[in-house]
Amino acid sequence: MTLELVVTLIIAAAMFGTGIYGALSQTNLVMIMMGIELILAAALLNLVAFWRYLHPDAIEAQMFVLIVMTVMAVEMAVGFAVAITRFRSRGSVEMEEAQELKG
Amino acid sequence: MSVQVIFLLAFGLAAVWFGIVVFRTHSMVRSALALLFSQTAVGAMFLVMQAEFLGVLQIMMMATEMSIMAIFMVMFMMDPGGLGEMDMKHQRKLSLWAGIIAFGGASGLALFGDWGPIATQIPDAGEQVRLLGIELLGRSMLIFESAGLTILTAMIAATSIAVQPPHRPKETPDKSKEPYQVHNHGGAA
Amino acid sequence: MSSFVLIASLIFATYGVAVIEEWVSTNRLRLAGPLISTLRLLGQENILPRKSDRLFFEVGPVLLLIAALLSLAVIPLAPGLIVTDLATGALFFNAALAYVLVAMIMAGWGPDGAYGMIGGWRFLGQLIAYAMLVVMPITTVAMRAESLSTIDIVNSQEMLWNIAYQPLGFLLFLFAGMAMAFVPPFDLPVASGELAGGVEAEYTGVRLIIFRLGRMVLILSVSSAIVVFYLGGWLGPFGPDWSWSMIKILGVAALMLSGGRMLPRIREATLLAWSWKLGIPLALANIFLVGVLVLVVPL
Repeated sequence: MTLELVVTLIIAAAMFGTGIYGALSQTNLVMIMMGIELILAAALLNLVAFWRYLHPDAIEAQMFVLIVMTVMAVEMAVGFAVAITRFRSRGSVEMEEAQELKG
Repeated sequence: MSVQVIFLLAFGLAAVWFGIVVFRTHSMVRSALALLFSQTAVGAMFLVMQAEFLGVLQIMMMATEMSIMAIFMVMFMMDPGGLGEMDMKHQRKLSLWAGIIAFGGASGLALFGDWGPIATQIPDAGEQVRLLGIELLGRSMLIFESAGLTILTAMIAATSIAVQPPHRPKETPDKSKEPYQVHNHGGAA
Repeated sequence: MSSFVLIASLIFATYGVAVIEEWVSTNRLRLAGPLISTLRLLGQENILPRKSDRLFFEVGPVLLLIAALLSLAVIPLAPGLIVTDLATGALFFNAALAYVLVAMIMAGWGPDGAYGMIGGWRFLGQLIAYAMLVVMPITTVAMRAESLSTIDIVNSQEMLWNIAYQPLGFLLFLFAGMAMAFVPPFDLPVASGELAGGVEAEYTGVRLIIFRLGRMVLILSVSSAIVVFYLGGWLGPFGPDWSWSMIKILGVAALMLSGGRMLPRIREATLLAWSWKLGIPLALANIFLVGVLVLVVPL
């Protein structure tokens, strides 16, 4: 029976969809980062579910989860650094005001 | 329907609900802490799936990470308390449809994929920690070390981006202070 | 039966910590002191600040209590006296206490008061100072025990307590634990002299009781972690196991509370500078040192 796996994957899909919605709809850099965090959490959930229900003997999957957690931390650190610089020079981190980034 | 499914559903619905609250509330601190509880529910799902080390790690890391997010929200938002009911969304239709399509696609894949039988025997928690440690310092050592190096690089990069730049003169400096400027004060020689 | 003994001894220990806390701060030993102040606070009016974030205001103190109680779940008082022996106990202790920060931010932000908010955000800075110094000494303890389970950690100290095996780690963990339980001189979030109670400032009545109870359980949990990780847990020469745990835990709590009183309250910036410039190099050196010791003299 694969009910556990399917339930977990659907929940991860819902989190992924919410994250995509948030990352696209928010105008603030910090809120966009929150959307990305949700997307990464969905990825983590999928990885753990695949490890638990399909390949419990492959411990590399847990290793992969640690790497994704690293990516989350790095994303936060660099994102906030960019936010600080932007806020210092332009006085806001609103995306609507960042028109000069448009190619 | 086993106990595991019930717990997965309960924590999963909590995770999704808190995830939606993140983008619905007006208060920024509430938004960050809703994300925290969403991540905590994901950690609890790891615990239900018997990945004890990862679950505890997720619960521990996210508490700090999301609290830091909360203080940045307060720093950078115009209305952190959410009392002014500001609107902070754009491209509503596009993002809503993108979210729905992403959810539909991924869950369709989950429903119609041929996953085969699921595993029942997994190593117990202590054994998992041991195996993970051996994996980290064995075959995957290079990957793990590069993750560490990535963090170090990110730390240095983030710090150097974020530090206050040294004070530079203004772009249109006061002309009178420049040495090559000749001052003519109406014939006063 | 054993769960009853466990709950009773935890309640007793919490009460003991409260008595000690009152003793060191007012210099009067009153065994009924905590009971009297609880009764007094029960009679106090429950004031609700204007324009408060009601949800955070109510949840903050409760979350503090829950986080502290959860961290006690992995602390063994005697071989059978433990709520749950997790394979990742030492990490779980840390994970549960990370939520103290969340509770403080909630309780500080909730009432919409300047003092409370400054206190709550101060604790975030304090966490950035102490978090590494909690995790790194735990790493060395786990290295010696070759396990993250708290029972294995106590058993690994049969020959020699960790305080003698890795004294540097003990000192770092003691200071970091004091910062984690925000006892003086690290009581930045509730600094009574400068912030008028900080996070506590807007709380009255039953909510203040829960907050203070949570703080007492937090101090108890940190001191029992010190006992389990460094002072050999229940190990003692004679008598029942649990009594040794009890004596050591209350002793460490008294040491933390009375020792800290002697020092002036540290500034946030100083705390951060010391813990990152001095503490973390020392903790890394400790990891290296203990690694060598574990290989060369495995006691």
